[in-house]
Amino acid sequence: MSATHQDLGTRLAEIKGAQRIKSFCYTCPWQCPTEVFVREGQIVYQKGNPEAPNNIGSRCAKGMASWWVSRDPDRLKYPMLRTNPKGQPGQFKRISWDEAFEFIAGKLKSIRDKWGPEALALTCHHDPNTQFYRHLLGDCYGSPNMYSHTSGCEQDRRSACLTLFGHVFPMHDFANSRFVILWGMNMLGANQGLWESRALIEAKKRGCKLVVVDPSFTETAQKADEWIPIKPGTDGAMALAMCRVIVDENLHDKAFVTRYCNGFEGFVQHLRTQGYTPEWAEQICGVPAATIARLAREFAMTRPSMSAIFKGSGYYTNGADAGRACYILDALCGQVDQPGNINLKEWAPLHSPVDVPDHAKGKAGQPPLHLAMGYPLAPDLPNSRLPEAVLEGKPYPVKALWVHATNPVMSDPNRERVQKMFAALELAVACELYMSETALECDIVLPETSFHEQAEVRHGMWLGPQVILCQPVVPPVGESKPAYEIAQGIARKMGWGEYFAYERWEDWAEPMMKDIPMSVEELKEKGFWAGPVRYDSVKGGLPTPSGKIELHSQSYADAGFSAYPVYTPRSVMPDEQYPLQLTHSKLSMHCNIVTQNNPLLMEVCGENWVEINAVDAGRYGVIDGSDVILESPKDKIRIKAKVVQGLVPGAVSVRHGHGFGHWAMGSVAKGRGAHSNNLMDTHTSPITGANCYNECKVRIRPAA
Amino acid sequence: MQHGFYFDHQRCVKCHACEIACKTWNEVEIGPRWREVVKLESGIFPDVQAMNVSMACMHCGDAPCQKACPVSAISKSPVDGVVTVDPNKCIGCGFCTWACPFNAPQLTATTGKMEKCNFCQTPGMERPMDMPRACEEICPTGAIRSGPLTMVTSQGRERAAARLAPSAMQGFPSVVVDGARKFGG
Repeated sequence: MSATHQDLGTRLAEIKGAQRIKSFCYTCPWQCPTEVFVREGQIVYQKGNPEAPNNIGSRCAKGMASWWVSRDPDRLKYPMLRTNPKGQPGQFKRISWDEAFEFIAGKLKSIRDKWGPEALALTCHHDPNTQFYRHLLGDCYGSPNMYSHTSGCEQDRRSACLTLFGHVFPMHDFANSRFVILWGMNMLGANQGLWESRALIEAKKRGCKLVVVDPSFTETAQKADEWIPIKPGTDGAMALAMCRVIVDENLHDKAFVTRYCNGFEGFVQHLRTQGYTPEWAEQICGVPAATIARLAREFAMTRPSMSAIFKGSGYYTNGADAGRACYILDALCGQVDQPGNINLKEWAPLHSPVDVPDHAKGKAGQPPLHLAMGYPLAPDLPNSRLPEAVLEGKPYPVKALWVHATNPVMSDPNRERVQKMFAALELAVACELYMSETALECDIVLPETSFHEQAEVRHGMWLGPQVILCQPVVPPVGESKPAYEIAQGIARKMGWGEYFAYERWEDWAEPMMKDIPMSVEELKEKGFWAGPVRYDSVKGGLPTPSGKIELHSQSYADAGFSAYPVYTPRSVMPDEQYPLQLTHSKLSMHCNIVTQNNPLLMEVCGENWVEINAVDAGRYGVIDGSDVILESPKDKIRIKAKVVQGLVPGAVSVRHGHGFGHWAMGSVAKGRGAHSNNLMDTHTSPITGANCYNECKVRIRPAA
Repeated sequence: MQHGFYFDHQRCVKCHACEIACKTWNEVEIGPRWREVVKLESGIFPDVQAMNVSMACMHCGDAPCQKACPVSAISKSPVDGVVTVDPNKCIGCGFCTWACPFNAPQLTATTGKMEKCNFCQTPGMERPMDMPRACEEICPTGAIRSGPLTMVTSQGRERAAARLAPSAMQGFPSVVVDGARKFGG
C-alpha cells in the first residue's frame, strides 16, 4: 500500500508541477495530517496524508478549501493599534512590530505593578502554539489564568470524563463497536475526526447498531438504526433510567463494576431512592418507557458497545450530570477502553518548547479565576463569568485579556455583555488572521500567520499516541508572524528573551520531540509519528482520586454537589409568551467562526437558518424558505426558516448560529446569515461553568 | 471501455469535500458546480428518512447533452466514454442544460460557456485513468469510486464480501454475548 500511496502523491505533484510537503490542517481542532502541493509559493492542491490513520488520504470540505486562507486579501497584514476610545467599533492604524511589542510590554508592566499578574487572563482555541503565550504570560509574567475556550465547547463532556475516568478527551473506537448510542452528538454532521466518521460508517456496514438520541434528525441520526427524538435538555433522565434498568435486571458486568468502579452499590441505591425508572423518564423525555427499557437491554447485552456524548447534552445547566450518566452506562457494562469502546487515549510524551526555570517564574497573589469564582470542578474558565471580573472586580479585578485564535464576541452568549467587558479592559490583545468581531473591540491586533505559513508540533487527535507536524509551506501574508515569534518579541522587551532563545522553529521543536522516537527532520518527511494503540488502561488504575471509575465522586460531594449524578430540570422552560426551546447544531462545511470568509465554502453554504417542525410551522405561520423573526426575551434576529419533519415539536434549531451574521472579518463573510448568540442571556453550568447555549426560549413569526 | 462513478449513499455524510476537491483540482471558478451533494428527505415526524447523493456528470452512454448541442461542442471519448465539452466550440446556448436530466452542465458567469465534470480531464492537469478522481481521492468515508463501469460494480461486490470474511472481524473480542446476534446485528 505504502509504495502506491507515495507513487500517487508523486504523480499528483508531477501533474500539478508542484512540490509536495507533509503538514497538517488546522481549520478545526481535529487537525488532519496533510500533503500540501505548492507551486511558485502558492498552494495549488491539498490532500490527506495517506499514511496517517487519522484520515488515510482524505480531507473534509473545510480542510480542502483551506488553501484560500493563505491567499485571502482580507487577511490582516500589519500590527494594528486602536486610535479611538473603546466601547465603539474600533478604528486602527498600522504600526511596526517593534512599536507593538513596546506597547504591549509597557501595558503588561503597569498592569502587573498595579493589580498583580492575576489581572491578566488568556483565552484561546486549541492551537498548540498558544503554549508560547502560556509560557510568556503564565510562566514568566505569572498569571494563573491561562485558559482556553472549553466552556463554549465540550466543557461538560470534559468534566464528566475527568470525573469518571481521569481522562480529559476520550476517543471513540467505532471500528470495533457493535452497538453505539450517541447523545446529542452529531459527529457525522460536524465531520470532525475523519477516521471516526469513517470507522462508524464501516462499523455500521458490518452490522453495528447505531442509536442517536437527539431532538434533531441530524446527519448522524440520518445514518442511525434508530433516531430517538428526545425533548431538549433531558438526556440525563433517559440515561439514568437506562442505568436503572440495567442494574435492576442484573445486566451489568459484575466483575468489572466490583473491581474497577468506585461506589457501585451506592449508585444502585441512589437510582432506586431517586425513583429513576423508565416510566419516570418517559414523562420528562417524551420517549416511551418501553423504548428506554428496550434500549437499556440491547445496550447491556451487546458488546463491544459505546455510549458517548459531545456537546449537545451539555448546553443546559443540567449538562454535567447528564454527561456523567451517559458515560456510566459504559462503566456499568464494562465497556471502557477496550476495543469498540470509548478510548482513554494515551498521549505522546511531548515536552514544552520553552523551559522557564522556577526561579524566573512570576508569582500571582490570587488563585486561578475558576477557583476564585467558586467552580472547583470546572476544567476551563467559566467564561460567561469573566465579564463580572472585568466590570465589577469579582472575585478579583481582571484588567487584561489575551485572545488567541478565538472570537468570544461572536462565540459567547450575550454578545452585548461581552462587548461591554472588552470596553472596560485596560489591555485587550487579539492575535488573529482577520479583523474579527473580537479584534474590533481590542486595543491592539496582532496579525498571525495561518497554519500554512508556520510550524506547529502537537498531539494528533487519533486513537493512539501521536505527534503531528505542520510546517510553513508558503510565505507569510503581509508582515504576519507566528505565535512563537510574537511571544519572543514581547519576551525580549520584558527581559525574558533568554527563555525564548530559538532562531528557527526547529530549535524549539527538537526539545519538544526529545522523548519521541523520531527526529524533527524525519517528522518533516513523514508528517506524523504514531505509537501503538493502547487498550485496557482501566486495569492499571486510573488517574482519579480512587484509581477507579468514579460512579461516586467525592470531589462533587466536597464541592457541594451530589456525589452521584442526579437529574434536575434545565433552567429555561418555554412558556406562553415564548413557546419554543432554542437549540443549536453545526454545519459540516463550516468550522465555528473561522470559515465564513472562504468563498468556496460559502458557495456550498452561504447562510444559516432556523429549523422548525412542520406542525409548529403551521401553528406560527412559518413558510419553508422564507425569513422569520426569532425573538427571545433579550433580542430578536431575522433568519431564514427551514420547515422540517426531523425535529421534536416545541423546539427550534439554529444551525451554526454563532458563526454567521459576521459584521467584521472580511468581505465574503460580512452580512451573510444571522448571528443568534445575543438571543441568549447568560446561563452558566453551576458545576462546570459551561456556557448553556440552549437555555433560551423563543417565539417565531414571519418577517414582514 | 466506459468509465463512470460508483456511489454508495450509505457512506455519504454530506460533508461536501468532493465538491471542493473537484473545484480545487480542476481550478473551477466560483459559480459552476461540477459536483454537488444533495440531500433527499422524506417521512413524517418521527418516522423520517434522508439520503445524500453526490451528483456530477454521469458520462452517459447515450448522452442527451451531446445530441442537443447545435455546434457539436460536446464529444464522448471512444476510449474511456468520458463526455467533455470543447470551450472553443461552445457558444453558451444552454441547450445541453435543458437536455441533461441530471443538471450536470453548468454555465459560467465569466465566459457564459458550459462546464461540467470532465472526469478530471481538465487540459494541463489530466488525471490518468488508473488514478482516483479528485472527488474520490478526498472522500472521508469512501463513498465515491471511479473506473471502468464493469470494474466499479464488481468492486462493490468485493467490498461486501470482504465485510463477511473473518479477517474483517479482527479486533473483536473472541466472546460476543448471545444478545449480539439478536440485537446488534
